[in-house]
This record gives sequence, structure tokens and C-alpha cells, in this order.
Amino acid sequence: MKGAHRIIVQNKRIRYDFEVRRNITVIRGDSATGKTALVDMIREYYENGSASGIELACDKECTVLEGRAWTVQLAMMQDSIVFIDEGNGFVGSDAFAAAVQDTDNYYVIVTREGIPSLPYSVDEIYGIRNSGKYGTLKRTYNEFYHLYRSADYKQEVRPERVVTEDSNSGHQFFQAVCGKSGIGCVSAGGKSNIFRTVLGQAEVKILEHPEDYIESRDYFSWERFFTALLVRDTKDTHLRYVKRHLNPAYLQERVQNKILDVMDRVHLG
Amino acid sequence: MLNVYYGNMPEAVFNTSVYFKNTYEDAWITDPAAKEMILDVDKSTVLDGAVIDSPVLGKIAPVSLSGGVKTLILMKNERSRIFNASVCGDNCAKWILKLAEKEDLTINLRHLMDFGEGRFDIRIMNTSQVVHSMKELVPIAGLYV
Repeated sequence: MKGAHRIIVQNKRIRYDFEVRRNITVIRGDSATGKTALVDMIREYYENGSASGIELACDKECTVLEGRAWTVQLAMMQDSIVFIDEGNGFVGSDAFAAAVQDTDNYYVIVTREGIPSLPYSVDEIYGIRNSGKYGTLKRTYNEFYHLYRSADYKQEVRPERVVTEDSNSGHQFFQAVCGKSGIGCVSAGGKSNIFRTVLGQAEVKILEHPEDYIESRDYFSWERFFTALLVRDTKDTHLRYVKRHLNPAYLQERVQNKILDVMDRVHLG
Repeated sequence: MLNVYYGNMPEAVFNTSVYFKNTYEDAWITDPAAKEMILDVDKSTVLDGAVIDSPVLGKIAPVSLSGGVKTLILMKNERSRIFNASVCGDNCAKWILKLAEKEDLTINLRHLMDFGEGRFDIRIMNTSQVVHSMKELVPIAGLYV
């Protein structure tokens, strides 16, 4: 499927009017905004047509995917706009991500969870808002609105470091551009690592230039600075660090290897 | 205190609407706290245990309440269960904190719910850390969702 498709669905009480223009559209936002009511109306119209009392106008078939037999249902859906309500656990599965890539449908998914296995744009995440009543009718009009709009962020962005999703062409481009300005550019090694990579940048910056962070008046040695940092950052966690007694968590093989890896030419095992 | 497990939690009730439909009792709906939650989140008025007046949908049954408010009602009445609170929008967050004020409440979250600007006590079960603000919560919980 390609192109933008307008969907108008209404009964005597509610009217939705919106457009979908990419293969994945995500709807989230506050409770009681009408997300489930929309999916219910699509389902009822699909099952009963105009005998449902619902009017639906769209140049593509609109249908609902749900339940344990979703793979069987999906196999029969072609060139359709497929709505999925929250409560369908399969949405986050790799099987679903693989299945939808082989179809020519557009998908409208109601979920607040991240779906790392599906490639959707931040520009296609919407909320539903009430746009008022029409004339003297008692019907409520609902429309989609962008939850995240770049226009909402007015500040100039001057990054100290840039994190890219992967290490392919996009990363190579930004690495080259950032390199000219002395801005570090690192790859997260995949979408699901972005958060962790961004968080780790503060520590990376300290480790690259400790002298810029360690005030000699406060810390007589660098060791004391890093000890204080470790104690502070691990407080109330399972990695809680105390200098006098080693927390057994630091004896995990993964942690041991990380420490031993930076000890060049020293072989303890 | 509010205990939150972030990420996939197989023992949590995922589809809270189905669970609500098959377990709710009329008394849960007429409970004063439930009435308050329904009015605040769904802008609807409880007429009796079986009928609610919604400004958009007209007279509805409790099963037609929003997924968020149904989950709040479950949290209040079924403390032994853990519910998927990611069906609740941010407009339910203050009620979740309120439900956990007097008695411990454990929920499962699969996204970063915004608990607001104020101070709170939330134990993140994944790391056993107690956090008191969104600034403290996000760097930890964000690793699991």
C-alpha cells in the first residue's frame, strides 16, 4: 500500500476523522480519549457493515487484528488498514514484526509500550483529542494530533556528543560531520541500546578527560574521586559499592572480564 | 509504597479489560474512591453499580469504562494480583500513587509513565532502588522498557 488514506468513522455519538500515511501508526496518550472506542467501531463496522449503525468512509478496507489466532487472521488481510487495540501481547513479539513486513497493509496500533522490533517514525505517534461538538448535534468530534512535534522544542540544539542508532551510513555521515567540530559520535549498536548508550555518555566523558572533572581541592587523588563516584552512583542498587567489603555482584564473570580486559598484558587466568 | 516492575512480567494480568469484565462487582463501582476516579479520568458519573453516565457515550455499563479506570478499580480491589498498568494513561498516575499511600501496591509497567513533578516513593523492583522523582526514576526504569 502507498499514499495517505483518510478514514472517517462515526455513529450518532462520536465521529473520528483522521489520515494514515505510513505503514505503522501508533496511538497513545491519556486514558478515556477514545482509543478503544475507535477500534470497537472499526470492528463493528467490519463485522456488520452499515447494519452496525456505523458509517465508515475510506478508500481501503479497515479491519481489526486481535486474539490468539492473529497469524491466521493476518494471512487473510491484504491491502487493508489494520487496527490493533492495546491488550494484544503479540504486538511486541518478533513473530509479529516478521509477519507484518511481508504484507501490504497499513497498521494502526494502540499501545504505550515501545515496539523496538517495528520501524515506526516519531512523526507517526498520535494522541486522540476531542475537537468539539458539531453545530447543534450532540456528536463528539475526535481527531488525531501529533504527540511529539519538533515545533514544540524551541531551543537550539548544540550537542556535546551524538549517538546514532547503528554503525551504518547514517553513523558514518555524522561521524564525519561531527569530527570536523570535535564532537564525539558513537553508535548505540541498535535501537534498543540507545537509552543505555545515552546514559553512559556522562561516564564516558569523565573517563576520556578525568582532569576536567576532578577538583584537586576536593579529591587528593583520582582514585578517591572515582571511589566517590562509584559509591554515589551505585547507592541503593544491587551494585552498591563499599570500599571495605567487595559486593559479590562485582565477582560476576561479565564484570570480572570487563575489569580484566582493560589490564593490558596482565594475565590472571 | 508503590512497587513497580518494569518490562515484561509474565505473572501480571496483561489484558486488564478482559479480567475486569469477568470479575468486577457492582460494589466496586459504587465505592466512593471508584466514583472519584471515574469522574476524574472518564469525566463520567456513577448512577449505580451497573450504570454510568458518560458525557460522550451516554449511559454505559462498567465494562465500557476506559481501560485506565478499569485497571485502577482492579488495583484497588484485587491487591493479590499484579496488573499491567501500561493500559493506564498519565492521567491515572496520581491515582496509582494514591492507591499505594495506605497499603503497598505492586504494578507492572511497560512504558515510562509520568508520575508528575512532585515527590513520591516508588520502589523499582528490577533493581530494588527507591526513587522519589521522575529525574531519579527515568535513568533506571528506562533501561527496562
